Amino acid sequence: MKKRYAGWILASPATIAIGLFLILPVAATIASTFGDEKGLLAPYYAFFNSGFRRGVLWRTLEISLATTAISLVVGFLTAYVVAKSPGRLKSILIIAAVFPLLTGVVVRSFAFLILLGKNGILNNFLVGVGITDQPFSMLYTQGAVIAAMVYLFVPLMILTLVGVLENIPEDVVQASASLGASPAATFRQVIFPLAVPGLIVGAVLVFTGSFTSYATPQLVGGERQMVMGTLMYQRAMVSFDWVGASTIAAIMVVITISVVLAMSRIARRLNPMAT
Amino acid sequence: MTLPLTIENLTAHYGTTRVLEDLSLSVGAGELVSLLGASGCGKTTTLRLVAGFLEPTAGTIRLGGKDLTKLPAYKRDIGLVFQNYALFPHLSVLDNVAFGLKQRGVAAAEREKRARQMLDRVGLAQLAERLPGALSGGQKQRVALARALVIEPPLLMFDEPLSNLDAKLRVDMRVEIRQLQRANGTTSVYVTHDQEEAFSISDRVAIMNAGRIMQFDTPEVLYQRPANAFVARFVGFENLIPMRVSRRTGAEVTAEAPGGVALQFSQDKFGPIPDDFVLATRPDGLAVTSDPNVEGLPATLGLRTYLGRAYQYQCETEAGALIANGQLSPPLDIGAGAKLVPVPDQCCVLKPEHP
Repeated sequence: MKKRYAGWILASPATIAIGLFLILPVAATIASTFGDEKGLLAPYYAFFNSGFRRGVLWRTLEISLATTAISLVVGFLTAYVVAKSPGRLKSILIIAAVFPLLTGVVVRSFAFLILLGKNGILNNFLVGVGITDQPFSMLYTQGAVIAAMVYLFVPLMILTLVGVLENIPEDVVQASASLGASPAATFRQVIFPLAVPGLIVGAVLVFTGSFTSYATPQLVGGERQMVMGTLMYQRAMVSFDWVGASTIAAIMVVITISVVLAMSRIARRLNPMAT
Repeated sequence: MTLPLTIENLTAHYGTTRVLEDLSLSVGAGELVSLLGASGCGKTTTLRLVAGFLEPTAGTIRLGGKDLTKLPAYKRDIGLVFQNYALFPHLSVLDNVAFGLKQRGVAAAEREKRARQMLDRVGLAQLAERLPGALSGGQKQRVALARALVIEPPLLMFDEPLSNLDAKLRVDMRVEIRQLQRANGTTSVYVTHDQEEAFSISDRVAIMNAGRIMQFDTPEVLYQRPANAFVARFVGFENLIPMRVSRRTGAEVTAEAPGGVALQFSQDKFGPIPDDFVLATRPDGLAVTSDPNVEGLPATLGLRTYLGRAYQYQCETEAGALIANGQLSPPLDIGAGAKLVPVPDQCCVLKPEHP
């Protein structure tokens, strides 16, 4: 009898905390969007009828999908090099990759302001070298937001993938070579499929992080690059439109969950062991 | 297709440590040769060099007329069976076996047919759709074997393929490996630390120590006529008694063991005997007797253990501690004095060791 409940008792503090501080508020937020007197789905009609808001949703998807794709490629290549490095160098490289995580998101976004501004480091360099005589306006563009987010999220991707790549046994790679697979074929048919579970975890982390981000698009993108996070803040804190803000939150939750489910489905197709 | 493997003057280093020293070995076409030795003797290094996973510092590796030494692993066309099976965990058993055919550009239908045939030969046809994670150790090793055989390589190499299996399965599998190897006539190199395994399936065995081959011969010769003290100890000649010749009369030689006991040897039987030599025997090759009139090494009997077919005695003699097997009845008393008489049929004459 005691044994049967031991697991539940041990899990209860975390379960209660999640129920109280996550599920309940999220449920309340979503529930509040269905109370409109104009109809059950009225706030959603309002959202999707607004060209501006649809544009924000579309931009957010574009930015977060681009960030995820670039982070996957950059992170995978970096992680591959790190995982292949000998012991000591590997530790140094991992520390170097994680180092930016030691500072806050805001600080790192400010770094991009300094980097990309009209009088920023990059423009000064370009003008100095003579590639251009007029500084580019790079801030407040979609590219700037994506670049800043990639910079923000690549360390997460690297950390996830190094672990996965290190766990691919050396003899499996050797077996592939012994069966006649060139390094490229081995990469495509063995290493990549075995890394898929890690790629999915990394992609989910980066997508959810960038899709819901607030500080970076606010600082680097400004008003012109409004995304769902900044739009939601504006609805709630500037316009005091709580139902509108909750609607945005609900749409974000639904999209995040769908993308996560879609990604794990792709993972299962590429590697039947992935979950 | 089957080709001879020739290894010449192969030397290899890990960093600055030399792990293989001027090793030469030839394996005839269709022959199964084992590399046998304790861990760290260089047997796995040799296999990895031939497979192309390591680069030698010097020497050449040739398969038939082709020089493999500088060829990357994936161009060597060698079937490999790994200790940990090394199956692709994300591919079905069928796709694992078909993997090598796919790399060779065999069409999908044809490679499935050939992979299924090979699975049938190793008795796993019904598991073709499973993932490796759902197989037992023995089944995994059969898949690994099928995967290596299906590409019909001119050379097959086994890296301790049975060491993760339980004792009974090990014996079954080695018979199976030998049968498949015989049937295909594939030249094979088999790495193991298990003497019984090596002797039972090999045409010839190379016993290795410290990066060198100590003796390379058929199991029969190795077992009966080891060439040096290392191999002698390895195959169970536990007693090594230093001897010195005191008199030669034609083919007859009288030699003294430490303590001055003289024993007779015939060069007709042992071949030329040098002035200083080592007499090697197994415990069975030293008869124990309590008869004081017999000529033999005086010994004090120590611990007695029961082997079923005999009693084994740990003996103290002038030549050091020796192990001898005595008859079952009557057992001799611990602490008693006795004589140890070498049985000529079961002795070996070795050159003295130069440490």
